[in-house]
Amino acid sequence: MEPAKMASPKSAPKDAQVMAQILKDMGITEYEPRVINQMLEFTYRYVTTILEDAKIYSGHAKKSNVDADDVRLAIQCRTDQSFTSPPPRDFLLDIARQKNQTPLPLIKPYSGPRLPPDRYCLTAPNYRLKSLQKKVSSSAGRITVPRLSVGAVSSRPSTPTLGAPAAQAVSMSAKVGTPVSLAGQRFTVQIPSSQAAVKSATPTTPTVQNVLINPSLIGPKNILITTNMVSSQNPSNESNPLKRKHEDDDDYDNL
Amino acid sequence: DRQTLVAVLQFLRRSNLRESEEILRREARLLGDDLGAAALSPAGAGLLGAPGGDADAAGGEALLSRVTTAAATAIGGSAATLLLYSNGFAVGGGVAVEDQPDVSAVLSAYNQQGDPTLYEEYYSGLKHFIECSLDCHRAELSQLFYPLFVHMYLELVYNQHESEAKSFFERFHGDQECYYQDDLRVLSSLTKKEHMKGNETMLDFRTSKFVLRISRDSYQLLKRHLQEKQNNQIWNIVQEHLYIDIFDGMPRSKQQIDAMVGSLAGEAKREANKAKVFFGLLKEPEFDVPLDDEDEEGENEEGKPKKKKPKKDSGGSKSKKQDPNAPPQNRIPLPELKDSDKLDKVMNMKEAARRVRLGPECLPSICFYTFLNAYQGLTAVDITDDSSMIVGGFADSTVRVWSVTPKKLRSVKTAADLSLIDKESDDVLERIMDEKTASELKILYGHSGPVYGTSFSPDRNYLLSCSEDGTVRLWSLQTFTCLVGYKGHNYPVWDTQFSPYGYYFVSGGHDRVARLWATDHYQPLRIFAGHLADVTCTRFHPNSNYIATGSADRTVRLWDVLNGNCVRIFTGHKGPIHSLAFSPNGRFLATGATDGRVLLWDIGHGLMVGELKGHTDTVYALRFSRDGEILASGSMDNTVRLWDAVKAFEDLETDDFTTATGHINLPENSQDLLLGTYMTKSTPVVHLHFTRRNLLLAAGAYSSQ
Repeated sequence: MEPAKMASPKSAPKDAQVMAQILKDMGITEYEPRVINQMLEFTYRYVTTILEDAKIYSGHAKKSNVDADDVRLAIQCRTDQSFTSPPPRDFLLDIARQKNQTPLPLIKPYSGPRLPPDRYCLTAPNYRLKSLQKKVSSSAGRITVPRLSVGAVSSRPSTPTLGAPAAQAVSMSAKVGTPVSLAGQRFTVQIPSSQAAVKSATPTTPTVQNVLINPSLIGPKNILITTNMVSSQNPSNESNPLKRKHEDDDDYDNL
Repeated sequence: DRQTLVAVLQFLRRSNLRESEEILRREARLLGDDLGAAALSPAGAGLLGAPGGDADAAGGEALLSRVTTAAATAIGGSAATLLLYSNGFAVGGGVAVEDQPDVSAVLSAYNQQGDPTLYEEYYSGLKHFIECSLDCHRAELSQLFYPLFVHMYLELVYNQHESEAKSFFERFHGDQECYYQDDLRVLSSLTKKEHMKGNETMLDFRTSKFVLRISRDSYQLLKRHLQEKQNNQIWNIVQEHLYIDIFDGMPRSKQQIDAMVGSLAGEAKREANKAKVFFGLLKEPEFDVPLDDEDEEGENEEGKPKKKKPKKDSGGSKSKKQDPNAPPQNRIPLPELKDSDKLDKVMNMKEAARRVRLGPECLPSICFYTFLNAYQGLTAVDITDDSSMIVGGFADSTVRVWSVTPKKLRSVKTAADLSLIDKESDDVLERIMDEKTASELKILYGHSGPVYGTSFSPDRNYLLSCSEDGTVRLWSLQTFTCLVGYKGHNYPVWDTQFSPYGYYFVSGGHDRVARLWATDHYQPLRIFAGHLADVTCTRFHPNSNYIATGSADRTVRLWDVLNGNCVRIFTGHKGPIHSLAFSPNGRFLATGATDGRVLLWDIGHGLMVGELKGHTDTVYALRFSRDGEILASGSMDNTVRLWDAVKAFEDLETDDFTTATGHINLPENSQDLLLGTYMTKSTPVVHLHFTRRNLLLAAGAYSSQ
């Protein structure tokens, strides 16, 4: 990708020769050979756009031919659209005068990271978690609850997990019937995405934000339930194709 | 028959039949309401084109203009706006009929001054006169050539005399100075009136007055010559488009003039550089420094090390008088010092104690960071103050941050994990970092155009980047995500910089303004408008009260943050300015441009005090060493040069004459001041940085040609 000297005009088409001459006249001596192609493309695109617009204008004016006025009008309209130039000087001086009259705002001390109000920042999550409707499970006995797994030390907080209200976890564990001794152990509720739908897990919290359950809420059982912003909640249930199709219809439901 | 009416008026005026003209005009006003504005404006221009050198005609012009405006308002709003629009972009100080400034301002700045075919005669007549004048006056009067040439050419183009304009250009463009050749090339492509409309720089040039500094004797000579009958046209043009700043004293030599001219708007008026500038530094807050050895020295505002006992904390500062050149501490609101900032300052002072004293005998070592495989895409570089991180902005719109020290870059743990850590432990700041994300390089995506400027915040928490997409983005260096996008410039933003105290930052772009922002406001706090062309470089003064901007119109302006006023205009460069550096004591400014020269300016007096010639290509990087002894400059010609700053700034002649007239007599001492030239292997130098111990770091991208 080295900038070449002027391309040899011997075998180039006439348009390219003209373009090379224009570049030379404007004082540009070193440029990559692709520049001529790009300039020619631009020229072609611009001219055809203008001529098409001019044809439309002349048709609108019920003229049989396109004449100079139509072309002039087309150029003027396109210039206002595509080739905007920065505001004129007096306008800038005016707004500068206005802006510079207000005194500099005082800085509140100890206010943490100084950022504009949230709606002007890019710090908000750029996704939304789907709200889940409570669906009556047709297949009885199907485990539609998050599975409790006893994993004390090995549970790493960083694994994507889905949180569930503590009370429910406890009650659900009862439903599952898994013999789990809850005393004095740390648990991580893991919901493998390939398994049960967790719709019922969140009937009370239709939009699951990054809920962090305070350990004190859980009480002596010391169950720590962690949530993660990158939620692996995936209502679609691979094991049940019917259910998944249903889900797809609801993709853009109201939230 | 509107046209005939107007033509009759014109004839009467030309023949100096004042009274009959008045009568006819009065009667014409009675028919006022069918005088179309469109008919009026070219006719008005033609009428006013009659030789208007004497006061009578000036009165006549004013009367006619009143007729014009009266008729315009009588016709109706749309017609009036049509008239005003056609004259609209000539508003603003363009016309020099001194006794009728308010009325004249409404009219076009480009009245037809005489016959277009005679322009060549006028110009060559003036040329002949100047070439035959005395040597001492010739240099000064030659300054007239360029602005006259451009304005006459633009007038011909504006009034649509294309062939005359072309021949005028052909004949005289070779006579102009070499440093105007770029402008002339742009001018040669402007052949029609429509071409002028989109070119903001040309429009600004038309409406602003080109400033010339001429001694009184030369001016008298010129005036006498031009006020003779046959040269009246040029006199009108001179009055209209030029502002002649007259000074009493010896005429300047060609060399002196050449040093100062070159900008798009001529030189700077003397009043522009008379405002008081607080160039002193702000007081460093005194606080207890935990000493590990007895000879630790604190710093006061002058940078002179001062012995300080560890017990006293503010006793030392009370005994020092307030520096009269320093701004009051609360002139502009500045963020308070946090604990982390205090720790940083302590580190700074410790490093300062181990700093190498540089000088002509002790040159700094230079460590060059080469960006490989950038394929000419490296467009911006910055290094933190403690030299721990380096950031590169690239043409593919990415921003890449590297760690220069062995310590890797880590991002903060997620919210979930943060709840697990022990918040009371001593090393909590280490614990919040997530070891799994440690890496030497972090890439930040977000811009949609090449990134032209980058700047670290002094507390190393934030990074700014500005891009061709018109936004300035604030990135967090703790999570390595984008926090805010500041939209305001709708055109490419060429440079941005954080204030030395954080919280404020400045950006400058293609829309010819620089903006001052605060991180917690989504709109700018100040807008610095005044440049005629793009703002290419923006820098804060060390005391954060002033901002220097360099522009493509070849001037450097110094702006006051408090009220947005332009307090200094420095002209002298012959090309767009690409680098600015303030000296650590705040008194001097160094600027580098595409002409390869580095110019040194005294901010307090507003004068040029030095010129460093040596580079053969654009100077893209300038930096003073930590105590201001050495100035390092890096350029596109693949070299880094070191200059002796102490010698350049000593024994300045600042007697009354110099300050009054702004004359400078620059010594030709570039060779003496040059301490060393260091070549790189075909790597243009894009950034320079002195570490706290005065090691020079340089950065650039290897380009294989």
